[in-house]
Amino acid sequence: MAIIERPRELAPASFVSPKQAAGSFHRPVQTKGWKSWFFTIDHKKLGIMYGVAAMFFFLVGGTEALLIRIQLAQPNGKFVNAQLYNELFTTHGTTMVFLFVMPMAAAFANYFVPLQIGARDVAFPRMNAFGFWCFLSGGIFLYLSPLLGGLPDGGWFAYAPNTGPIFSPSHGMDFWALALQITGIASLTGSINLIVTILNMRAPGMKMMMMPVFTWMILVVQFLLVFAIPVITVALFLLTFQRRFGATFFDVKAGADPLLWQHLFWLFGHPEVYILILPSFGIVSEVLPVFAKKPLFGYKFVVFSGAAIGFMGWGVWAHHMFASGLGPISVMVFSLTTMFIAVPTGVKIINWVGTLWGGTLRFTTAMMFAIGLIVEFTIGGLSGVTHAVSPSDTQQTDTYYIIAHFHYVLFGGAVFGLFAGFYYWWPKVFGRMLDEKLGKINFWLMVIGTNFTFGPMHIVGLQGQPRRMYTYKAGYGFGPWNLVETIGSFIIALAVGTFLWNVVKTNGITGKKPRTAPLDPWDARTYEWMTTSPPKEHNFDSIPVVSHLDEFFHRKYAEDANGNMVKVATGEEILADQIAHADKHIHMPSPSYWPLVLAVSLPIIALGVIFSTYLAVVGGAICVMAAYGWAIEPSTADESDFENPAGPSTEVTVHV
Amino acid sequence: MLGGFALTLTGCAGNAPQDTWKPSGKYARSIDNLQEPIFVAAGVVGLVVFAAVVYCIVKFRERPGHDSIPHQSHGNPKVEISLTALSAAILLTVAVPTVNTLFEISNRPKDTALEVTVIGQQWWWEFQYKTPGMEGIVTATELVIPVGKKVRLSVTSRDVIHSFWIPKLNGKRDAVPNRVQPLNMEATTPGIYEGQCTEYCGLSHANMRQRVVALSDADFATWVANQLKPAAKPAKVKDATTGELVDTPQSGGEAAFIANCARCHQVNGLVDDKGDPQNSKADEQLVSGAAPNLTHLMSRSVFAGGMFDLSLPSAACSPKTAKYTAEHPTGTPDGCLNRADLEAWLRNAPAVKPMYSIQNKDKLYRGMPNLNLSEADIDKLVAYLTTLK
Repeated sequence: MAIIERPRELAPASFVSPKQAAGSFHRPVQTKGWKSWFFTIDHKKLGIMYGVAAMFFFLVGGTEALLIRIQLAQPNGKFVNAQLYNELFTTHGTTMVFLFVMPMAAAFANYFVPLQIGARDVAFPRMNAFGFWCFLSGGIFLYLSPLLGGLPDGGWFAYAPNTGPIFSPSHGMDFWALALQITGIASLTGSINLIVTILNMRAPGMKMMMMPVFTWMILVVQFLLVFAIPVITVALFLLTFQRRFGATFFDVKAGADPLLWQHLFWLFGHPEVYILILPSFGIVSEVLPVFAKKPLFGYKFVVFSGAAIGFMGWGVWAHHMFASGLGPISVMVFSLTTMFIAVPTGVKIINWVGTLWGGTLRFTTAMMFAIGLIVEFTIGGLSGVTHAVSPSDTQQTDTYYIIAHFHYVLFGGAVFGLFAGFYYWWPKVFGRMLDEKLGKINFWLMVIGTNFTFGPMHIVGLQGQPRRMYTYKAGYGFGPWNLVETIGSFIIALAVGTFLWNVVKTNGITGKKPRTAPLDPWDARTYEWMTTSPPKEHNFDSIPVVSHLDEFFHRKYAEDANGNMVKVATGEEILADQIAHADKHIHMPSPSYWPLVLAVSLPIIALGVIFSTYLAVVGGAICVMAAYGWAIEPSTADESDFENPAGPSTEVTVHV
Repeated sequence: MLGGFALTLTGCAGNAPQDTWKPSGKYARSIDNLQEPIFVAAGVVGLVVFAAVVYCIVKFRERPGHDSIPHQSHGNPKVEISLTALSAAILLTVAVPTVNTLFEISNRPKDTALEVTVIGQQWWWEFQYKTPGMEGIVTATELVIPVGKKVRLSVTSRDVIHSFWIPKLNGKRDAVPNRVQPLNMEATTPGIYEGQCTEYCGLSHANMRQRVVALSDADFATWVANQLKPAAKPAKVKDATTGELVDTPQSGGEAAFIANCARCHQVNGLVDDKGDPQNSKADEQLVSGAAPNLTHLMSRSVFAGGMFDLSLPSAACSPKTAKYTAEHPTGTPDGCLNRADLEAWLRNAPAVKPMYSIQNKDKLYRGMPNLNLSEADIDKLVAYLTTLK
């Protein structure tokens, strides 16, 4: 039965003492206060936690990028040594992919998918919490490595046999492999959760082809994750066994073929690229229609092309290996499949421009980031086509031209999309408005920084500057452009700083009165805007029945006698109607600390794998205990859980 | 825009020895002929997209007092399908020449004139000549080929994955242990063509360089003839007063070489004073099991995996042209030796090039360790090395 929201007929509300209810073996029930963040299973709180943690890792990965750029600003740089440089580019890539873009996309998915489909939470709320804690403990575990034997130094791609025990003797790659196994659990549980949620928990009337595009793209991404994460996990597992237990999967002396690793890694790694970019495609496909005041051009095309990418993304992995020596037949096949995956990707560009065409465009910060994505991603997409031309790629691969390409795709694409999402959805999540003026400064700094940093990389790459080099000699034409890139990277840092300042300034953190957001600040079109900002813990007082794509828009606007769209209702009126028909019995799952305990046991086991079997046994015991505790814990708290065992306390809060 | 932009800027760059847009051989030219129109086409597509976005921004921006809701069009299937078909058609036109070029540069040429096995290891390249009449030639870092002839390389590795790349002659090919992978090369004009290992191979990846020196047929023949000779033993001299045979710096250097270097570095024909041959046993010392063959060290223009020039960068000694190698196929001329870097290398190699100076648990090194040589030994060794022409 109930329990974040107690049954309404049970008035007056029960009294709960958070102080005592959080005692060691007492089931946590409170949903307010700082402690509640550790036990929460609310998809919105978890979404915010994903966002905050991912933003932290974004700053870590960004700092690593700046150190790399300082080192490369001039030929023969002496700022860091070779070993540290190799560690920096390894952790920069790993952090940005696994600890920033993926969890930031998970933040948006967690927060908005249930709201966009009219669900009160995800299908498996405790598993959702478990996923978040796995991601965080995996991330923290990775960054324990400098304290316990060195950062990983094998590259985020970790090509065998360079990552084997002979060639990477420090514990860095052990931490890397185990950390990604732990964060992989987060992705896997999260993806199953969201698939079940999207397929089963949509509001009445919402057919699949009425779902907002963001939810569609997230659904595609979750299917990619379900199949891709096991592949990398297998590879990481083999690597761990080779490094820790003397297995010989990638041991050349024992007859291994090192290309096994590359096939496993890129069979995961290429779908991973779409895992990183499709959520941002979804965000942009929400933002453009709102600020163009017209529906997404070719909704079905966008959905089907997203799904097509989801399938075709599995058939292109070896284009990362054109120089590996696959032989011309394989190279030809992957060259062709790679060209053809450009078609559904190009479809999206066509549809976004089509959305702008004939609209009434409002250039808010969110809209500017969305249009910025179209332009920057197009550059990255076109350079991608030049890689599909495999003979040409043998000149480009492993040079800065590739770095330029995937940063236009992942920074100009994925990150621009995430920033569009920040500005667009901030009022929904926090009920506060970000400053538009600072937002525009943020945007322009970001655009200038991106093109200064990554634009010249095309040139030095084609001039033959290989990647992953801690230094380069003078006399190859690299120096001046590298200096421009370094300046650009600091402009990006300034842009990110502007965003953080915007957050601090407008959310009451400086003590200044925050600016409360109106209910419907953007004249939005989709379901998540049909509730309060921030939403209540149960999201909707009653679940509105869906009859249109862009349901919210169609409730606000209708055609008049002349066929023109006119406003017939405001967001406030629609919300008031929903509250008036509030459901009487709203059943919400209860908080639990087992997901946290279970997730914390994993890095303990992992430390044990590296350092001591005894520690692994301890971690395993905690793991089993937590799994049992979780299994026998009812999904909703018992009535007695709310009682204060020591009698009424003076320190009470009303549980509404 | 991207393509045009990159084309212009790389075209303008004067001093870019690894420029992928300035081919000097058949294979690199095939790739260049393929990629240039594709870059232009990509640039045109980019410009069309940008123009459409800019047009939308200007034309459809919200104007004050004009807040009506635009027509709620959900799309136009005809436009969508035709644009999708158009992009597919563009890609198809790209695909055909791609496949043609791919096979053209991959197939084994019928008139292969030279076969060389290229072996990567941390952090230098070895070249073993396999063509009949050249067997036994083993060089490091510098691959010498005859100009205008088809060269077939067999690329492999002794430890981790490396990648062999000479941008002006062909695309790159990974050197994968347990695999031998082909790569064709041909240079149209004599010259030195630089390259760089392009697969991350650990600590000193950035310092793993390679170069191809293309020589005219006559120069190449001279070079081959010299390479086939074993090293000459430096003679001792008769002391004028005692009449005994005493060491010159060169012969003393040879003794120091046998004592300190010969266990890893092979010098063909090296014998000690008793006449016993001194063959390297690098596999007992190094993870990769190989160190550069130094028999004809002085015929090369660089050392330490291409990190340092072997001769001084002055006008008279500059190794930047093939003319240098053509005129001096048998050694760095006197007065041109880059003595400072060579001595620093002998003094403490891992201090000037990042390498692992400690043994791993199998008692093996990765790269050259610090040998703690005395200054006297260093002087003698340099004197000996200059005899390895």
